[in-house]
Amino acid sequence: MEYPLLFLNRAEAAVLDALVEEILPGEEGSPGASEAGVVEYIDRSLAGFLRELQPVYRAGLAALRELGDGVTFTDLDGQARQEIVATLAESPDFAGRFFRIVREHTIQGFLGDPAYGGNRDLVGWKLVGFPGAQWGYSAEQMRPGTDAREIPMLSIKDLYARIGDER
Amino acid sequence: MTERFDAIVVGMGSSGGIIAEQLTAAGLRVLGLEKGPDYTQEDFLIKQDELRYYQRGAIVAGVDVDPVTWRANEGETARVLPWSAGELGSDEPLYGLPSIGTGGGTLHWGAAAYRFREADFRMRSAIAERFGKGALPDGSLADWPISYADLEPYYEKVEREQGISGRAADNPFGPPREHEYPMPPVTQGPGDVPFTAAAERLGLHPFRQPVAINSVEYRGRPACVNCGFCHGYPCHVNAKSTTQVTSVPAAKATGNLDLRPLSRVLRVHRTNDGSRVTGVTYVDGSGTAHEVHSDLVVLAAYALENVRLLLVSGINRDGQVGQNFMTHNFGWFTSVLPEPTNPFLGTFNASSAVDDYTSELVPDNDLGVLWGSPIISVTGDLQPIEAYHLMNPKVPKWGLSLKHWLRDNYLHLHRMYSQTTNFPHPRHYCDLDPDVKDRWGQPALRITHDWEPHDANAVTLMGHYKETIAREMGAKDYWMDEPRPPYHLSTHDVGVHRMGEDPAASVTNVYGEVHECRGLYAIGGGQFVSYGGYNPNQTVQALAYLSAEHLLEQA
Repeated sequence: MEYPLLFLNRAEAAVLDALVEEILPGEEGSPGASEAGVVEYIDRSLAGFLRELQPVYRAGLAALRELGDGVTFTDLDGQARQEIVATLAESPDFAGRFFRIVREHTIQGFLGDPAYGGNRDLVGWKLVGFPGAQWGYSAEQMRPGTDAREIPMLSIKDLYARIGDER
Repeated sequence: MTERFDAIVVGMGSSGGIIAEQLTAAGLRVLGLEKGPDYTQEDFLIKQDELRYYQRGAIVAGVDVDPVTWRANEGETARVLPWSAGELGSDEPLYGLPSIGTGGGTLHWGAAAYRFREADFRMRSAIAERFGKGALPDGSLADWPISYADLEPYYEKVEREQGISGRAADNPFGPPREHEYPMPPVTQGPGDVPFTAAAERLGLHPFRQPVAINSVEYRGRPACVNCGFCHGYPCHVNAKSTTQVTSVPAAKATGNLDLRPLSRVLRVHRTNDGSRVTGVTYVDGSGTAHEVHSDLVVLAAYALENVRLLLVSGINRDGQVGQNFMTHNFGWFTSVLPEPTNPFLGTFNASSAVDDYTSELVPDNDLGVLWGSPIISVTGDLQPIEAYHLMNPKVPKWGLSLKHWLRDNYLHLHRMYSQTTNFPHPRHYCDLDPDVKDRWGQPALRITHDWEPHDANAVTLMGHYKETIAREMGAKDYWMDEPRPPYHLSTHDVGVHRMGEDPAASVTNVYGEVHECRGLYAIGGGQFVSYGGYNPNQTVQALAYLSAEHLLEQA
C-alpha cells in the first residue's frame, strides 16, 4: 500500500480495490477507480465522516466473499467478477445495498476533490471534462463554444495557494 | 439575572434577518437567536467543494441534528426522512431542511427571486371562475387575505434592498410592477441558449430569470464571478444575496442587535392564561439553558421549525398549527444536447424560463390539471457527482457503460424543471412525532403527506411541455422524474401556520401575529395560504418587510 490505511485492513482494501475497479474500470490511457485512489478516499472517509458505515463495509465485504462461493473476489477471474457485479447491481438484498453504497462512494472518490484522497492526478475530472475548483469564469468562457477541456484544472489546494498572497 | 429585550427574533435567516434589520434601525434592542454559526466570509472563501457542500451538506443541519419524520398516511409509522437518512441519504441534501447560520436558507439557496402572480393570491376564486365551482379541489384551498397589489410595494422593497437582477420587460405574462429590477440579468449560461431558441421557435416567451445575485456591483457587493458552485453552496465573493451579507450586517451596525449564534430555542413562554408572550428559553453551544424575556417574540426559523416550536410550547388552541402542508414537486427533466452545454459554468439560474403555462395560464387539458407552473431551464451549477445522480435510469451503472456515459455526456447535459404542488388538504399536515426526539430531547416534526392524483398529473402535463422543448432543442436523449417522486420535502415547504382572519381556519393574521397569543409572531412561508409554481423566498421576504412595518407601527 502506498498510503496508510486508517480503517480497512490490507486484505479488505485489496478486495475493495478490485470491486471499485469493476464499477469504473481502467482502460488504455484512461485510469479507472483503482488508479484514481478511490479506496484511499473510502478508507479515509470510513475513519471519519462515514464512520457509521464501518459495520456495513465489514459485513458487505464478507457477503461479497459468500457470493464468490468462498473464493476471495480478488482471486476470481474477470468474467466471474463482472457476473457478480451485474447480479449485485440489481439485487434487493443486503449485498446489493452494499454494492450501491460502494458505487456511490466510488463516484465520490473518483469525482470529488483530491483533497479527500481520491481523484489522483485529477483523472476523474479529466475523464468527464470538469475544470474543478475555479474561482470563477469570464463572460467569454460563459459563451457557447468554449472548450471545457482547454481550461486548466484547479483543485481546492490550488485555490488556497492562489489566494495566499492576496489576503 | 433576567435579561429583557424589546424584541427576540428566532432565526437570523431570510425573514428573521430582515426583521432584525428593520427593528434595530428604529432603535429597538433586539436579541437575535440563531441555532447555526455566525458565518464570516472567511468561512466561505474556498467553497468550490462538491463533497463538502453538496454531497455532505456542510451548511445544513441534516436529519441527524434536526430529525424530520415522514409517513404517506396515518396508517403508517413515520420514519426519519427515508430519502435523506441512511447510507445513501447524503445524496440529496436539498430535500431536507434549509441551511442554518446567519443567512439561514439564503446561504445555500439557488436565489430564484420570483414575485407571485396576481392569480396566485386568489387561487380558489380563479379556479372556480375558470373551471366552475364543481372543479374546486377537496380540502382547505382558500384565497389569501391580501392581494398582489397589497404586496407589490414590499416586493419592490425586496428587489431594491436585497438586490435582484432580471429584466421584467421580457416576460409578457409577468405581474404588473412599478419599476424594473435594479440590475440586469446575470451572464447567461451556454446551455440556456438552445433552450431560449427552441422555446421561441415553439411560440413561447422565454425570459431571463430574476435572481438574487449581483450581475453588476451593487451596494458595495461585487458582481457574480460565474464560479458554478452556487445552488447548495455559500457565495465566496458576496455576490449572492443572503441576509448574511445584507440585513444582518446592517442590523449589527446599528449596535442594537445582540446576536447569539449556536443558540437553539427550546420553548416559547407565555403568561399563565396563554394570551401574551413573555419570552423564550434557549440552549447555547455549551449546552447551558437561558431564559430571556420580551413582550415581542418573532419566530422566523423556517415554516417547519416554527411549527415545531409552537407545538412543543403548547400553542395550538384551534388545531390549525401544522395544517395545510404544501411542498414543491420539481419534475426534473434531463436532456443530452448535441452541442456542449458546459454545465459547470455559472449559477443554476443563469438561465431562462417560460410563463406560458404558469398558474392560471395552464392550458385546457385532459388530465384535469387546474394550476400550472413555469418551465425553468437550468444551465450551470452542475458538478460531476450530481451529474451521476441525474443519469438516465436505463443506462447500466457499472463498468464501461457507466464510465463512458459520464465521459460522453457530462458536458452536454441540460435540465428543466417545473414546480407543482399539492392543494391544502387535511390529509397533508405536520405534528410532533410521538417517538423520535432530537439530541435536546425535543420531539421531531412529523410530516404526513403523499402526492395526490392531481399532483402527479400536473407533473405529467408539465413533462409533456418539457418533452416538446427537448425535442425542439434536438436532444439526443432525455428522461424525467417519476410524477410521484420519493421526496416530500423540498426546502420549499409552506402553509403550515397559515395567515387569515379566522382563527378557526388559520394560525396568524396577515402580519404573522399568532391569533391566540399577543406579541408572538410566526413569519415566513408558513403563512402562505396556497402555493403556485414560483420559488417562495421573494414572497417570504416581502411578507417580512410587511410584518416589520406593522411591528414598528405598534411599537
